[in-house]
Amino acid sequence: MKTTITINDLWKRYGRVEALRGVTLSIAAGEIFGLLGPNGAGKTTLIRTLIGATKPSAGQVIVLAMDPRRDVWQVRRQIGYMPQQPALYPDLSPRDNVRFFAQGYGLADTEAQVTAVLALTDLIDRQHDPVQTFSGGMRQRVSLACALVHRPPILLLDEPSAGVDPRLRQTFWDHFRRLAEAGATILVSTHQLDEALHCDRVAVMRRGEILACDTPRNLLQSGQTAVTIWRQDRAESHTLANYPQQLPLLLHDYGLDTAVQRIELDMETMEDVVLGLTADQPGEQPS
Amino acid sequence: MRAPLTLRRANAVASRTLRQLRHDHRFLGLSLVSPLVITYLLKVLFDAAANPFFDPTEFIVAYGAFIVHFLTYVLIMIALVRERTAGTLVRMFVSGYRRGEIVTGYLLGYSLLATVQTLLVLGVLRLLFDLDYTLGQSAAVYLVIWLLALISMALGIFVSNFARNEGQAIPFIPLMMLPSIFLSGVIISVEQLAAWAQWLSRLTPLFYANELLLVLIKPGGRLSDDWTALAGLVGYGAVVMLLANLTLREGD
Repeated sequence: MKTTITINDLWKRYGRVEALRGVTLSIAAGEIFGLLGPNGAGKTTLIRTLIGATKPSAGQVIVLAMDPRRDVWQVRRQIGYMPQQPALYPDLSPRDNVRFFAQGYGLADTEAQVTAVLALTDLIDRQHDPVQTFSGGMRQRVSLACALVHRPPILLLDEPSAGVDPRLRQTFWDHFRRLAEAGATILVSTHQLDEALHCDRVAVMRRGEILACDTPRNLLQSGQTAVTIWRQDRAESHTLANYPQQLPLLLHDYGLDTAVQRIELDMETMEDVVLGLTADQPGEQPS
Repeated sequence: MRAPLTLRRANAVASRTLRQLRHDHRFLGLSLVSPLVITYLLKVLFDAAANPFFDPTEFIVAYGAFIVHFLTYVLIMIALVRERTAGTLVRMFVSGYRRGEIVTGYLLGYSLLATVQTLLVLGVLRLLFDLDYTLGQSAAVYLVIWLLALISMALGIFVSNFARNEGQAIPFIPLMMLPSIFLSGVIISVEQLAAWAQWLSRLTPLFYANELLLVLIKPGGRLSDDWTALAGLVGYGAVVMLLANLTLREGD
């Protein structure tokens, strides 16, 4: 698949603080890529370098074969950006907000595209009400509509489901999946670790570094799995690091005799895996 | 035929700021009522200090200019800082808006508010202080104060770059306004100031506006009577607008 975003050894320093430390990754068209990590991990800084709003201290960023700092306006036309905060005008309506940001792109059929994206985000019924009367989830929908109005091939979503109820969150992810299937590249940062399962690949970040980058399935499997084998009414407990490979070896030792009555697996959740990866190591300053 | 994209974007920013003003009744009301209240208080103050050797009409127009200068500077600076803290400024840039278009749009949108403010202040000054200017004089006085309002807005946009939130914006109000009121000649004649203060007075737009207004309110006063002050005001405006255009910051 065609690579749309390439990041090579990216560094960003704010004085003595290193917000990004040698980040390297590439994302392909049609892929949903998740950025996971605690506050201050560097997720937002990474997204801001992709839109050309933050100047890297060192390293290279390529978006659709362009440099976001040098070709800033060409890159931005190809990007739909949904910031962490709603970034809307609360005294204006969703239609006014979406229209205003759409006008920046100089679209040929602004009103038609605004109507289409309001329908897509299920905002038509409230399109003329002031945004300040909306719930957090509805504001997020307006913010998403602003990011989608020009039908960009790349979506950069900074915690899009923060403050969104589970049903709406599922709707968001269904929509992201449809966009990815249509060829869009989607980079999502999230605090909700269970959301990582919606991504094709995820990177776990901590203190500006990528600690792990893999599919959610592989990441989960890399976690610890507790296995309890009951034999003749006695429990025998084992902990496996990579259960798909380790479990057969363990069972070979048992010879899988007929006395094995039950096998219990207690796998780590994505939250356990990510928290384990991002926990402070002994001797480190707490993050 | 459609206008060039850059003009359409500036117009979009102006329309949006006006729509916001229209929806924010409290902000709009306070922006228009407060200059009237201050002007009325000045009248009460001068009436209380009635003195045959003291004629407030000699400098009351300059006070009116200061009120417009102060309000336009503060209102637009806070509006820009709010854009920055809300994240809408970055979103505007990401959506394709350029610095010059944002600055122009803001100046266009808020200039309507400044126009109404200027007309209200001048109208009330005329009524309360029985100012007897010819139509030409009134138009010239209006033009000077309106130009000052535009310059104050550009100054507010420029200064907003140095504040990351509304709290940080507050020190910039006295920092710009106190030199303006004390050094521009509105309260103390510039000739009576120390040499260094006289030099500093040239850094305030109110200095040039006041010089012009002093000439204009004399019988038969015309803009062409003080080309130096007019050029100073226009030149000051051009420099501040250029600075606002060049420096409007979207990120770090």
